[in-house]
Amino acid sequence: METVFYISAAIAVLSTLMVVTRRNAVHALLYLIVSLLAVAVILFVLGGPMVAVLEVIVYAGAIMVLFVFVIIVLNIGHEAVRQERQWLRPGNWIGPALLTGVLAAELVYILAGRAAGVASGEQVSPAALGASLFGPYVLGVEMASLLLLAALVGAYHLGRRTTTRQEQGSDGIDKR
Amino acid sequence: MPLIATMPLWPLVAYFGVVVVMVAGILALSWVLGQRRRDRQTGQPYESGMVSTGSARGPLSAEFYLIAMFFVIFDLEAVFLFAYAIAYDRLGWAGYVEMLIFVGVLAAALGYLWKVGALDWGTSRYGKGRLPTSAAGGGDSTRGKS
Amino acid sequence: MSPTAVYLVTIFGLLIAVFTLSAGLIWYERRLLALFQDRYGPNRVGPFGLLQSVADIVKIFFKEDWVPPFADKPVFVIAPAVIIVATLMSFGVVAFAPGVMVSDLNVGLLFFLAMSSMGAYGVALAGWSSNNKYSLLGGLRAAAQVISYEVFMGLSLMGVVMMAGSFNLVRIVQAQERMWFFLPQLVGMAVFMVAGFAETFRIPFDLPEAENELVAGFHTEYSGMKFAFFFLGEYIGISLVSAMLVILFFGGWLGPVLPPLAWFFIKTFIFISFFILVRGSLPRPRFDQLMAYGWKVMLPLSLANLVVTAGILLWRRS
Repeated sequence: METVFYISAAIAVLSTLMVVTRRNAVHALLYLIVSLLAVAVILFVLGGPMVAVLEVIVYAGAIMVLFVFVIIVLNIGHEAVRQERQWLRPGNWIGPALLTGVLAAELVYILAGRAAGVASGEQVSPAALGASLFGPYVLGVEMASLLLLAALVGAYHLGRRTTTRQEQGSDGIDKR
Repeated sequence: MPLIATMPLWPLVAYFGVVVVMVAGILALSWVLGQRRRDRQTGQPYESGMVSTGSARGPLSAEFYLIAMFFVIFDLEAVFLFAYAIAYDRLGWAGYVEMLIFVGVLAAALGYLWKVGALDWGTSRYGKGRLPTSAAGGGDSTRGKS
Repeated sequence: MSPTAVYLVTIFGLLIAVFTLSAGLIWYERRLLALFQDRYGPNRVGPFGLLQSVADIVKIFFKEDWVPPFADKPVFVIAPAVIIVATLMSFGVVAFAPGVMVSDLNVGLLFFLAMSSMGAYGVALAGWSSNNKYSLLGGLRAAAQVISYEVFMGLSLMGVVMMAGSFNLVRIVQAQERMWFFLPQLVGMAVFMVAGFAETFRIPFDLPEAENELVAGFHTEYSGMKFAFFFLGEYIGISLVSAMLVILFFGGWLGPVLPPLAWFFIKTFIFISFFILVRGSLPRPRFDQLMAYGWKVMLPLSLANLVVTAGILLWRRS
């Protein structure tokens, strides 16, 4: 189990680095999907199979699909690649990277000071998860439903405006 | 009937490894075995014999974005319902009412989207999901925006 | 045999069985369609044309492995592999018979849903990376269809989950010893079956590859083995959906006299034949009809099924 954990952790970190450094948006997204899948494996090993699978369904299977759709529909091709190249000049990223490095060092320092007690391997059963979601945390669930309602209506009205402005046909190609 | 003891995880990991190696192997083998040709038209996009013009990279209908957005939101709601379904007997009637409220909000959202026509694909052309009435294939008069 | 050996035999046996079955299905579908349409179908290679698929596979291995110069090469190669790997991974949790499965996950059903949600990438990326107008439209259509039908695919199964009290596929089969779930969950089964047709792009939901408007949809530019992956992926998908239908609604391996594994394959085969029969009889709808059908009919139906099932189960318990 430990080996699986370390391998997938390494994959997650590496693929996230690739996300940042890719110039092509779709390639970056593919690495991001790999990273999310690796995190799901980590959650699985840590004893949360339900959370792991939901991570795949929601993040890798839904939110990333939306990203892919947006990138394909907008078709930001070569100009975006050129722009990315400009943004990836050392002068632009060296400052934030240094600050992040300081944060990471702090994190390692704190974790190193503690006794190793992670990866208990204790499983949280799906039923327990559901019971606590609709038990003590039910207010959060209902709030989430209202938030999602607002998101649906908002998404429709924002998306609608672009549709009517561009006067498009049902098969997706500009008709005029 | 006794329950089968929960099996270990490694077979699934091993299975994944075997599948990936096999798929990569088949692709590599067909690459090695395949013929190579370089003819005048080999490097052209296939458009049923038409000579391709323009780029395949252009702005597309924003309706695809809308569908993806609805999908993300409804999928999230579905995930909450998955969590309810597995624990419904522990939660009892109180949980049932909570779930009803949750589904009610979801149904309200769906009803609103239905009413404003967000679920109709391409209404800006035909209006309320009907075919153009004129056999001429829909002049501009039938393309009124809804 | 040691447990390790049993697992290894299961893994390789499963892969060989899935590939043979899917290749055989191609022949079976062509013969069956020919029967419906009063013609012969492939009957030249081997007895009854049985070796037709073998001949096709050998031929495809020697076809040019063409990557278009205008395509996004790495994504173009990865896309068909994604489809095959995601579908095959779902087979990792399918419970064929007691003890005959790769992994007995306690979230097996959700694992199946998660893997089928990966299928949207294969088609969307194949369409995008081909850099061809038809491919792009086909890929987007396919992905829009997959995600629209995925929402209620999961929801329609929650009735089964509530009746069995588990996401574990073995438990779900064991819970059907008294009654198969297709009777109390008739609505859930119907919705899941429709979603299954849509997820595998079978007629009547084969709009992404509607040849009279989109050439061949998202795999227009694909040839050789990569095209075969899309083709084979469809048949593996059919086998998967049929197997899931059997496990979730028709008692899995349960049945009298015959051994469990035989029952499982007999039942799965019946559903595979049903898939083919539907292809031989139904026309294809328009894309807007397809989307409206999913969001306006299937989604409310699956929600209602969930609410009513939970209510009845709670009422019977109290």
